[in-house]
Amino acid sequence: MSLFSNMSAEEISYLLDEHGIKHGPVVDSTRNLYERKLKEAMAKRKQAKPSPDKTFYREEEEEVTYVYRTPTKSENFMERPYMRSKTAEELEHSASYSGYSRSSEYRGRDYDELSHKLPVGPKTAPIRSGQDAPKAPKSPRLIPLWVQFLCFLAVAVFLYFVFSSMESSEPLKVIE
Amino acid sequence: MSSTSQKHKDFVAEPMGEKPVMALAGIGEVLGKRLEEKGFDKAYVVLGQFLVLKKDEELFRDWLKDTCGANAKQQGDCYGCLKEWCDAFL
Repeated sequence: MSLFSNMSAEEISYLLDEHGIKHGPVVDSTRNLYERKLKEAMAKRKQAKPSPDKTFYREEEEEVTYVYRTPTKSENFMERPYMRSKTAEELEHSASYSGYSRSSEYRGRDYDELSHKLPVGPKTAPIRSGQDAPKAPKSPRLIPLWVQFLCFLAVAVFLYFVFSSMESSEPLKVIE
Repeated sequence: MSSTSQKHKDFVAEPMGEKPVMALAGIGEVLGKRLEEKGFDKAYVVLGQFLVLKKDEELFRDWLKDTCGANAKQQGDCYGCLKEWCDAFL
């Protein structure tokens, strides 16, 4: 490889170390072997990483295209799945607080404000919750949020009912 | 180690001295000729190369393949032979 033939033995040795190739001294009889190994290693690297920028953009691309295509639509679309996945847990917590009907308004507003900002802090998340459900009938979720809420409440009520019925019944004493 | 040839056993039994390169296990006439053409006319020269490659199996195998076109079995035989010789005499 003409690329390597101008290099000194030390340079080749350095490159071999860079690629993590175990090697001995670079002497006349070993030089060809090491040059070939370097060539293969470099070709492999190029194949593995077509260009670092591409990977970088690919990660960003999802966000960037949404923002640039249609400002209003894309923001919601982009942020909602992101936010919803986050707030799903918080929603279940906030269900007990039952303040969720109010908070979704903030959420809608915040979308516009934070349209350009992607990383939304977890602090703001609890404020916002499921009021989006009545606002936006179309959601990317398979099961709409309010249905999930309803189920949760139903299960909670059911369990309470079972518990209360157990309390009042006689058999409990028998068990004891 | 169960399948070492007679050639291997003969080689590792004593110091190699001035033995020709064809005395090495895995190196027959064809490969031997190719090595000689490249300047490796004695077993000790190949030993020298083996040592310069730090007795590393992969490097030595690659080198042998590049230099004389040895196949995997031949590479393995030659490496094993030299390694055992080194263990005994080096």
